[in-house]
Amino acid sequence: MRISRRAAASAAVLVTSALALTACGASGDSGASDSATGKVEGRVTFQTWNLKANFKDYFEGLIADFEKKYPDAKVNWVDQPAEGYPEKLSADAAGGTLPDVVNVSPDLAYPLAKAGVALDLHKAAGKYQDEYLAGAWKSYEMPGMAGVYAFPWYLNTGPMFYNKALFTKAGLDPRKPPTTYGKLFADALTMAKKSDGKITMLASTPSIEDFGRYGVRLMNAQGTAFTFNEPKGVELLRHYRELYAAGALDSQALTAMAESSGRKFQQQSVAMNPGSALDLGNFKKEAPSLYKNIGITDTVNNTGKANMYVQGLMVNAQSKVKPAAVAFAHFVTDRKNQMDFAKRVTIFPSTKGSLDDPYFTKEDGTDATRVRIASAKSLGSAVNYTPVLLSDQMKTVLRNAVAKAVQGKESPKAALDGAVNECNRLLTTGAGAR
Amino acid sequence: MSATAEQERRAAPDGGGRVRRRRSGRRTPVWQWVLRYLLLLAVLALTVGPFLWQLSTSLKGAGEDIYRYPPSLVPHEATLDNYAGVAKIIPVWDFALNSLKVAVANVLTNCLGAALAGYALARMRFRGRKAALVVFLMAMLVPVESIMIAQFVTMRELQLNNTLIGVLLPACIGAMNVLLMRNAFAALPYEVEEAAFVDGANAWQRFLRIALPSVKGTLAVVAIFAFMGAWDDFLWPLIVLSDQSKFTLTIGLNFLHGTFANNQRLVAAGTVIAVLPLIVLFACLQRFFFRGVGEGAVKG
Amino acid sequence: MTTGTARVPRTPGNKGGGGPAPVPPGPGAPPQAAARGRIRPVRRHLPASPWLFLAPGLLIVGGFSLYPFLSTVVNSFTDARTLIAGQYVGGANYQELIHDAMFWTGLRNSLLYVLGVVPLLVILPLLLALLVQGRIPGITFFRAAFYTPVVASVVVVGLIWVWLLDDRGLINAVLEAVGFGKVGFLSDPWLLLFSAMAVTVWKGLGYYMIIYLAALANVPRELHEACAVDGAGALRRFWTVTVPAVRSTMVLVAALSSVGAFKVFSEVYLMAGPTGGPGGEDTTLVMLVQQVGTGLNGRVGYASALSVVVFVITLGLMLLVLRANRKEDA
Repeated sequence: MRISRRAAASAAVLVTSALALTACGASGDSGASDSATGKVEGRVTFQTWNLKANFKDYFEGLIADFEKKYPDAKVNWVDQPAEGYPEKLSADAAGGTLPDVVNVSPDLAYPLAKAGVALDLHKAAGKYQDEYLAGAWKSYEMPGMAGVYAFPWYLNTGPMFYNKALFTKAGLDPRKPPTTYGKLFADALTMAKKSDGKITMLASTPSIEDFGRYGVRLMNAQGTAFTFNEPKGVELLRHYRELYAAGALDSQALTAMAESSGRKFQQQSVAMNPGSALDLGNFKKEAPSLYKNIGITDTVNNTGKANMYVQGLMVNAQSKVKPAAVAFAHFVTDRKNQMDFAKRVTIFPSTKGSLDDPYFTKEDGTDATRVRIASAKSLGSAVNYTPVLLSDQMKTVLRNAVAKAVQGKESPKAALDGAVNECNRLLTTGAGAR
Repeated sequence: MSATAEQERRAAPDGGGRVRRRRSGRRTPVWQWVLRYLLLLAVLALTVGPFLWQLSTSLKGAGEDIYRYPPSLVPHEATLDNYAGVAKIIPVWDFALNSLKVAVANVLTNCLGAALAGYALARMRFRGRKAALVVFLMAMLVPVESIMIAQFVTMRELQLNNTLIGVLLPACIGAMNVLLMRNAFAALPYEVEEAAFVDGANAWQRFLRIALPSVKGTLAVVAIFAFMGAWDDFLWPLIVLSDQSKFTLTIGLNFLHGTFANNQRLVAAGTVIAVLPLIVLFACLQRFFFRGVGEGAVKG
Repeated sequence: MTTGTARVPRTPGNKGGGGPAPVPPGPGAPPQAAARGRIRPVRRHLPASPWLFLAPGLLIVGGFSLYPFLSTVVNSFTDARTLIAGQYVGGANYQELIHDAMFWTGLRNSLLYVLGVVPLLVILPLLLALLVQGRIPGITFFRAAFYTPVVASVVVVGLIWVWLLDDRGLINAVLEAVGFGKVGFLSDPWLLLFSAMAVTVWKGLGYYMIIYLAALANVPRELHEACAVDGAGALRRFWTVTVPAVRSTMVLVAALSSVGAFKVFSEVYLMAGPTGGPGGEDTTLVMLVQQVGTGLNGRVGYASALSVVVFVITLGLMLLVLRANRKEDA
């Protein structure tokens, strides 16, 4: 999802006084009751991540409904802007000012859970487990810890957009875009040859999700060590190296970010780019000349399982109004309210049965609906490939290794071995290991 | 004030008069004028081009391809809709008012605090002067990012988190501004101050009446830097503030980066809104930099 | 004067003060005599006065910069993470740093950045300041216009330059049209670094221009007059009048810009990407601090050690610049 990439891109250096943290965390603890059961009352602070600008009405309605249902509870809604979210969470966690209910993705939930500021919902609200899709609920289980640390909220999955005109120009069938990696690589080479390297199929090097979709095993079964240097991973990199040498990857692929690849796709110099169902409306507005040529297909995939992005709602373990906080987090993520949300913007509910709703199954002839239905279908079996243990630091390590291998400065095997070693070292060094 | 006026009067008779005489006496060759304007125009193209691009994007209406290649600088259907759009999504004026409060306070504290400290460092002799200078030098070098959370915890202890004062405090006297002021005071001819001392002026009076008015140019620089610093800061206000009613403009504008889709036109309009006050401020203050050389026969 | 007898009048220029007579240098005075940036403290004040003057500044700077930095120093000897307090690990972080190839890459790039950027930022803004000095029609507009890169947000600036320098951007289109062929400004690690330097210089021009303008305002106009009477050309006047007059400002600009250049982050980040170019080859030291320490998983201990190293090196750079200045002066 765009949003987590942007967060990673936040231009901030944040180094904590972790010593101060422990002092504050401890003092915050004393006032909080351990139990999440009890009367739903008090003032709940609820923090979302950049949703106020476009969905103000929805959330205000939601809060009004909740306050009507529980007259003794009040909800104070705060929204944070796109950038700097992890930094804001770090400071609040360190200062003991974290809100009661917080919007988090699994990779943000992991360190918070590990630091003991996320409430174990398996214990506190396990009875609701059956309301959610199993895969979504599972994505907030944290390796090495018992329990579940957030209610799954909305889901997203990216279809692949491609440029039909560029396909035709390269002599490829615009009705048959590649759906497996093998076909993708072959088509990319054809396109590079036909266009003399002017048009390329792809704008970026493989990410961890690509490794996952290619069928590479990313971690061992116990979740204690990375394994993406297995032969399949090396094979994937070898293909990309070939593409790069043949000019079938954009020349700036090694430094590309989500934004820049998106721009290249909009400028029609790159033929295929992953996106989300929401991008369609965007293309229509921002790049009308591209919109005419747009084609939509499933993400290139060797495993048959699409990648899924999950957002969730975490409850602050030090909250003074735990019963109300848990009740509200559940209320926001319940089937009815998620469905309402999904109808306002193209996201997908994480509640069981929601995806069988006619809204997600019935064609009405428009492109938007077609994408929605295709995405909803793929979500049934989708998994969140990105391991929650893969920190931003490790992503950088992987990215640099991939670049070196693709440029031919290191062999794919050596580069991946190095990256796996470094990631495993980061996994076990320092306080994170305890 | 009177001492400065006196000083200027003393300098004026020969200095000012001579300039005028010369200007009428000797004329600059035409080719020098042409060369100068050509240079100015070349630099102009280089400096404002990117900004014009942003302005143009912000004026482009829906349905105009902003990724077109080759790109067009002139909007085909210029519209102010994007600006209205920004105001619809966020309470621009409330945020701008908060930013203005912090920025103006930051200008005042920096001008005064940095001038005081700079004056002491440049014009007073005392034990520990070097040490004090080193403190400011070192403070300037501290990587801000590495101390942000520690600062936040301090603010919480002072119960200033979620207040505009908390936003203001850490940068309200910038070490760099102190050094700038010190440099400016050090360059002043000190004899005037000696004279004032003979007249019985104490340190505070000398500072306020003689030294300060003579460094207006540097004060203007400090004012601009202080305003800019407070106006542009993003991460620190974000961390300190929790209530939307207290958000500053930079935080507010960041809401324009949509969670699900970016509207480049809105973002561009937001950028223009954020930048314009700074350009206006600069245009207002710049005459102070030219005090004294305004008439100058100096040529580059 | 360090005693409390500050109120005793003295004849100016006799003991403590020294220096030339208290009249502005006349047309005949040698140019070098005036506007030297040396410090001549006036000693007539109460002993407490300087500390009263310094108190607000010291309080703020000490309380909100130096004191918190102590915790960074402490953290650099621990294995702390963002949300997890660390344990004392001695010099392990510093040892790791020596064996970290990325650290050396970062150090190399940051130092190169200083070498590439500082000379340009000392000279070009001065020339620009001279260019916009004086009253010619429309000059006010030019001055304000030249300042826009400073106030434009660095993100916007980055986007625009990326767009200009792109393989299919405007600059490459021009280069190709004149038969020069494409230049991989944004794909070659070295060109990426140079491109980022160009952007830093471009964005810094207006900033240092106004510092120079303020300094030039202090150059007594009589000096130029005197010189012009002597028939000195523009170039000679530049060297004999302008440069000596703004020397202390040049030193200041050199110090500020070298610290800024060494701590460069945004430009490289925006042009070469968050991971610092192909394979991380363009990573600068501060980018590394950010990569290592940022986010909820940040390795605070190691990032603190890096921060301390950055602090020490910038301090060294600053002292070097000031030292060079003193030597020249002697």
